[in-house]
Amino acid sequence: MTLAHLPFELPDGALIRRFLDGDERAFRMLYERHTPRLKMTLQRLLGARRQDVDDVVQDTWLAGCRGLHGYRGDAKFSTWLTSIGVRTTLNHLERRVDRDTELLDEMPAPLTTGPASVIDLERALAALPDHQRIVVVLHDVEGFTHEEIGEQLGMAAGTSKATLSRARHALRLALSEGVSNAS
Amino acid sequence: MHHDDVPDRDDDLARLFTELPRTAPLEAGEAARLAVRLRREGFFQSPRRLVRRTLQAAAALVIFTLGAFAGSQYARRNSLEEMLARKQLSVADRVLLLQRAGSAYVRAAQSYADATAHVDSNAVEVASRVLLGAAHAVARSSLDAGLSERLTTAMQPAGAPVSPTRKPIIWF
Repeated sequence: MTLAHLPFELPDGALIRRFLDGDERAFRMLYERHTPRLKMTLQRLLGARRQDVDDVVQDTWLAGCRGLHGYRGDAKFSTWLTSIGVRTTLNHLERRVDRDTELLDEMPAPLTTGPASVIDLERALAALPDHQRIVVVLHDVEGFTHEEIGEQLGMAAGTSKATLSRARHALRLALSEGVSNAS
Repeated sequence: MHHDDVPDRDDDLARLFTELPRTAPLEAGEAARLAVRLRREGFFQSPRRLVRRTLQAAAALVIFTLGAFAGSQYARRNSLEEMLARKQLSVADRVLLLQRAGSAYVRAAQSYADATAHVDSNAVEVASRVLLGAAHAVARSSLDAGLSERLTTAMQPAGAPVSPTRKPIIWF
């Protein structure tokens, strides 16, 4: 289907209104604007089950579109969508917990020399337990506060802080071991 | 990124976090596939189209209601009671009325006899007398072309003498 383009500078609010009025072009523009970031975030949250990211992204958008009438604009649309993505990811991880989908071997191999790289960090993140990985990604990568994380994950802000501390400790350990093994 | 956190944050780790890629490439047709699913759920129907469909449904309802009303009026106008009450009838309508009323009368007498024969032994006799009375009423109206006389003759019990001058006895 050929769809005439909308002005790219249209803000999210205008696109949402047009989408709710039945404009498919507005939906596509919202999708193309927000999905690259959402996809990377959800991929990181999924850890070893990152191959499911397309399903989770689609489920997130479906849930978002169904609930879009309830979006009041209090938070940025990207934040609102990411919150839905986090919940969708949690449900997905709980559903798939019985499936053995260890994919760490499919991730890029770490660098053999030099300091720890982002690839090492990605591997280390994927190896963390689900709740630690989700907290550290939401806080250190996405910039959510502990209160927001606690609200999304159904835990106290203090629990989020403690989880973050353990996650960072595990990450530092994994990265230092990776570097020392390489050298 | 927030720094409202625990003191175990180190610069190397923070640097690595800032270097992490923030976006993943989209695959071709991703949005289109999702759009198909959304369309199946009823998205992308413009309000104008919804209004048009609502108007179409309302128009269909109005047409159906008007049709039902017109049909009931036509049926009532051609009911037996309405036709009997009307003075202005064509000859064809009168023939039709005669046929319908006569048929209805006979059917009513027959159904009365059927319905009550098992509890009332006189039901069949009563029904037949009602029909006989009707025939007398027809004869009393002195129809032309000798019909009245033929009916009177037909109504006489078998073997009874026929008196052409005798007036028919009307029983109702």
